[in-house]
Amino acid sequence: MGASTSADLGRFAEPAMLVLVSLTDGPRHGYAIMTDVETFAGATIGPGTLYAVLARLEQAGFIEPMESDERRRPYRITESGRAAVAEQLDRMDRFVQVGRLRARQAAG
Amino acid sequence: MTAVRPPLRHRLLLRAYPAAWRRRYGEELLALLADRDPGPRDLLDVLAGAVDARLHPGLGRTALRRVEAIPLPLPGTRSAAAFGIVAVTPPVGVLSRRTFMRRMLGVGTMLLGLEFLAGTLSFLWPNIREGLGAQFRVGRMADILAAQPSFATGRPYPYNPARVLLVNVPAAKAWAAGRETSVPDPSADELLALWRKCPHLGCLVPEPCESLSRITCRCHGSTYNILGEKLKLGPAERGLDRFAVRVEDDGTVVIDTSQIIRGAPNLGPDRLEFADAHPWDATCP
Repeated sequence: MGASTSADLGRFAEPAMLVLVSLTDGPRHGYAIMTDVETFAGATIGPGTLYAVLARLEQAGFIEPMESDERRRPYRITESGRAAVAEQLDRMDRFVQVGRLRARQAAG
Repeated sequence: MTAVRPPLRHRLLLRAYPAAWRRRYGEELLALLADRDPGPRDLLDVLAGAVDARLHPGLGRTALRRVEAIPLPLPGTRSAAAFGIVAVTPPVGVLSRRTFMRRMLGVGTMLLGLEFLAGTLSFLWPNIREGLGAQFRVGRMADILAAQPSFATGRPYPYNPARVLLVNVPAAKAWAAGRETSVPDPSADELLALWRKCPHLGCLVPEPCESLSRITCRCHGSTYNILGEKLKLGPAERGLDRFAVRVEDDGTVVIDTSQIIRGAPNLGPDRLEFADAHPWDATCP
């Protein structure tokens, strides 16, 4: 997720990350993404938010729709989507490290 | 495929989304809602999503093109068959019944809205046609002279709709000084519209008396000269108030009672703009 793309996503940046991580595991349709996110992150994404995110990710080219099955359309992550996830995870990693370091310094 | 018709509240909720968005994601979202059995928070979330989709109309449209590029049956066509709806999309360029009804509803609502707006605005608009604040068209000088020929020789013309005494200043000064003159065509700045409301307690002041050519209020005796300046006698502390006067291009004299010019304060006999031939303390009988 490039810096500009994160900015484009605005308040949807966090649920977008959850959706992308969920799809990294393999293609899923909407309801499956929701239950998966609830399981691995404990976070609930409402149906309206989920589709707002899916539409944006699709427009950004990070995911693409597949043939729908019984009205449920699965999505799969694209190469640029994978790259965006990796980049964002790196950034969060740095954030966690800096945060831990500063917390330790403050404590002692 | 045994499709169950989605519940009414889901379909109504979906209507909140723009049409292009519904064509692309509607089917999937209905399936998701059916799977999840959404609570009130989910429904609110969908509503928020609809607002978002309407704020970003590009989202559904570009995505639709992408899905149409994939050789897939469009979701919409399949669901219609599943629900047993025998409906054909009208050919391109032909107004469907639904679109027509919707547009008519839209036009009707808009007309109603405009009517309310126009009604409100016209109610708020300043609309003074009579009474204090209005513009009084007294008439042309010829009309005034026809009504009262002595206006040319200095007698003020009482114009009752505006409660004024219209004063022909040069002629009135001559009359008050005891001279005979005739000014049949005074200009706008030679006209005074004296408001016949005594600045003391608001009595209607009478026309000037012939003996002194002064105005004496009958209530408490406040006395004014022919230009409305306060003289010695009476409790009023300033001269008569005036209204703005203008003469339009066609010669019509217009009194604008929305512009009130306060009378000058009483500062003694030496400070008058005009002194007539009578003593400072003389008053009409």
